[in-house]
Amino acid sequence: MIDILKKEWLTDPKTNILAGIVVALALIPEAIAFSIIAGVDPMVGLYASFIIAVSISILGGRPAMISAATGAIALLVTPLVSEHGVEYLLAATLLMGLIQLVLGILKIGKLMKFIPKSVMLGFVNALAVMIFTSQIEHIFGISISTYVYVAVTLLIVYLVPRFFKAIPAPLIAIVLLTAIYLFMGAEVRTVGDLGAIERSLPSFIIPDVPYTLETLRIILPFSISMAIVGLVESLLTAKIVDDATDSYSSKNRESRGQGISNIIAGFFGGMGGCAMIGQSIINVRSGATTRLSTFTAGTVLIFLIIVLGDLVVQVPMPILAGIMVMVAIGTFDWGSFKYMVRAPRTDAVVMVVTVAIVLMTHNLAIGVIAGVILSALFFATKISNVEVDRTETEGAVSYRFNGQVFFASVDTMMNQIDLDEENKAIELDFTNAHIWDDSGVDAIDSMITKLKRKGNRVSIRNLNKDSRKIINELSMINKEELI
Amino acid sequence: MYKAILLAADGSENSYRAAQEVKKFYHEDAIVTILNIIGYADSKSDVLHGSNSRSLERERLEKLSKITDFFNDNNIRYETLFEHGEPKETVVKVANSGDYDVVLLGTRGLNGLQEMVLGSVSHKVAKRANIPVMIVK
Repeated sequence: MIDILKKEWLTDPKTNILAGIVVALALIPEAIAFSIIAGVDPMVGLYASFIIAVSISILGGRPAMISAATGAIALLVTPLVSEHGVEYLLAATLLMGLIQLVLGILKIGKLMKFIPKSVMLGFVNALAVMIFTSQIEHIFGISISTYVYVAVTLLIVYLVPRFFKAIPAPLIAIVLLTAIYLFMGAEVRTVGDLGAIERSLPSFIIPDVPYTLETLRIILPFSISMAIVGLVESLLTAKIVDDATDSYSSKNRESRGQGISNIIAGFFGGMGGCAMIGQSIINVRSGATTRLSTFTAGTVLIFLIIVLGDLVVQVPMPILAGIMVMVAIGTFDWGSFKYMVRAPRTDAVVMVVTVAIVLMTHNLAIGVIAGVILSALFFATKISNVEVDRTETEGAVSYRFNGQVFFASVDTMMNQIDLDEENKAIELDFTNAHIWDDSGVDAIDSMITKLKRKGNRVSIRNLNKDSRKIINELSMINKEELI
Repeated sequence: MYKAILLAADGSENSYRAAQEVKKFYHEDAIVTILNIIGYADSKSDVLHGSNSRSLERERLEKLSKITDFFNDNNIRYETLFEHGEPKETVVKVANSGDYDVVLLGTRGLNGLQEMVLGSVSHKVAKRANIPVMIVK
């Protein structure tokens, strides 16, 4: 126990602290921009990032993964904030955390494998498109200077890392361009125009909402969506960090940690959050392997805000918009185009439908659920197709069954059997079939009964072990018919 | 005679040509280590595109199948090594680990355009590796 703690916290502390500092610097612009997407003061996102990062560093299942305020959650809560205000967001965050904690205790991590690849691709692509479209109002139709700032920001974030990687390029863009703005001035909006920055540590508060069923009715749908989206993105990120660091992590512990972290965030005036793919990759790329890196990211972030808060309000919005465009491009899975050509038609359809539903509902959770249901239907259709081949030689008929015999497939199977056969030796060959349930057994029973009624002799061949077992337990047919 | 041969391969046409070059000085006592670097951004797309039923390891091996097939056909003993990291630094690090006598790589990998503009992995390896470097055109 002590050994694991030591390993997860104290391995190579210098590299991990430096990586954490790099992440803190990269987190600040995103936390502010995500707050603005959600429609709350920058402090709500910054507090969330500080609290979630520190809390998950202790409670999470995946060392070196970064969790903070995220675009996925911010995009979900925009309507809640605009209709009911920030206090309802904090209450929804508490409930989100509670739901995640319960799901974590119920070991929901395992359920992740039921989310097909096509739905995950739809998830990240829809997230990317939504982050991008959320920035349109901050980029277009404001002023010429706005376009210039966005363009220069994009140049910096894409070109500088090719030559210089020690400091995150978004931070270079912010410092450099904000300095130019302060020196020269320009017709652009600043962070201060959209919200206030308080230079203080978060303090414990109980969200100021009426504690009634009506409130629950308002926040519950949001909390459920936030909980689902948070877990989907967190567990996906954990898998990516597992791969990038050649290690394995507990998904259930991560789910519980996400839950508790969001509960704490809600009590300290922060919006909900989850793991971040981009930031976690920055962390791992900087050499991070331990929990100390995540802890450092959170604490350095809040320290910088307390020291530099007055400057942060001066940051021109188009710089943040440019950084968000970069985040959107980085989030999008560009391999999806190739995937759409190569993958089975149904998988490509599921991906496109997932994206379309998210963009229509502005809700990633609904997209994921719809995608899972759709792919389950496609799967059921595919699997419920049992093929039956009939061959006849000199009064002996052989039926060969191919596929899965269960409640959804018995009808297609029965339709392919000629029940009008008379006085023949009929062999039912199950070499390439598997019988799964009592509906399958019933179908075979009735098939045999009907065929025997017409004077046929029926035998069953080559059942596999499981199918034979279920037939023995449930079927009424004579044992001697089983060969 | 080189005994431990390191072949940095990303599955590109150039890395296949480098693999073919190995045959010219391979002998029975030697073993070739095929080194494939998984960039940190690759982890994201590999995890997203990986299927649940097969391990990522196997899918990554498939990317190198052209090279491993070539080695199998020519009775060249090989092993594969997957390392996470930035391609340049990681190839240099493995080459300088002391376990290898020579390192081979193609002039240009999958990301051709980028390397043309900005200096390639092969350039960096040639400069920084402590063992002989063979860059195959």
